[in-house]
Amino acid sequence: MPIASSLRVLIVDDQHSMRLLIRGGLQQLGFKDFDEAADGEDGLRKLVTTPAHLVISDFNMPKLDGLGLLRAIRAHPPTSKTAYIMLTGQADKDLVQRAVQFGVNNYLVKPFTVATLKQKIEAVFGPLT
Amino acid sequence: MTPAFAAQAMRASPPPDAGTERRVHVVQGEFHVTGDPDVMLTTILGSCVAACLRDPLARVGGMNHFLLPGSSQDVGTGADTVRYGVHAMELLVNGLLREGARRERLEAKLFGGARMLEGLTDIGTQNAEFAKYFLQRERIPFTGGSLQGDRGRRVQFWPASGRVRQMTMEQGEATVFAAERRAKVAPVDVGSVELF
Repeated sequence: MPIASSLRVLIVDDQHSMRLLIRGGLQQLGFKDFDEAADGEDGLRKLVTTPAHLVISDFNMPKLDGLGLLRAIRAHPPTSKTAYIMLTGQADKDLVQRAVQFGVNNYLVKPFTVATLKQKIEAVFGPLT
Repeated sequence: MTPAFAAQAMRASPPPDAGTERRVHVVQGEFHVTGDPDVMLTTILGSCVAACLRDPLARVGGMNHFLLPGSSQDVGTGADTVRYGVHAMELLVNGLLREGARRERLEAKLFGGARMLEGLTDIGTQNAEFAKYFLQRERIPFTGGSLQGDRGRRVQFWPASGRVRQMTMEQGEATVFAAERRAKVAPVDVGSVELF
């Protein structure tokens, strides 16, 4: 059973407000170790430099979108096992299916509650303490 | 040129008698983005807020119309009200980016957020404060508009040119209350796809 405070999370979203919201939600769940990136390229760079246990990334981003980031993470052996939860603007079945093909661990439809965020993370890591 | 993007079903009225201008009415919970110079976006606001965003170089713009649930304004807490507001703004911004706008060139005008009834929670101010907060946080220049007060507004926005016209409505005008009554606060947690 993982302790939330021991998990490092990389939040990737081109909107500062959304990164703040996710960070706020994670803090409510006991997470303490975060990093942030404003697009997929930035996220990949940061993840390669400083590994994380979990990436929570938007799909719709400039430079490298959420699917591109996911593929790059899975293709790079040092990061390939990183858990990945993708944020989408709508419950788009095709998009989620493509993400599943690329190895996404779960997804979140915006806007979401902290309870849903917790549920999605626990579906990947098991109950958080 | 056809309207570039519509998030949900949009209600477009027939063209006016003169010219080829086409009106698209943006109701609460929706947004519309276009670069069509013949399209004028319009809405009626009470305590709701409409953000008119535009990239002047790409000559593409859009309008949303939202009403925040709850009462908290603290984005750091991840409160439901802010989560919904951020989502409403993000849909508009993403719609603009898809049509060729660049985030760093976006500028915004804000309208609405009136206090329509004395004695009740001032949700108009809450909506207005959130919209200003969002623009500040995302570094989108706030180039004008009209917020708060106690009157409803009819707003017309020509995205291609950036022109905006506002008509203040009479206090207690039935049209505004009818629009407000139709307003539905969107859920903060939406549908999902069963794959996990």
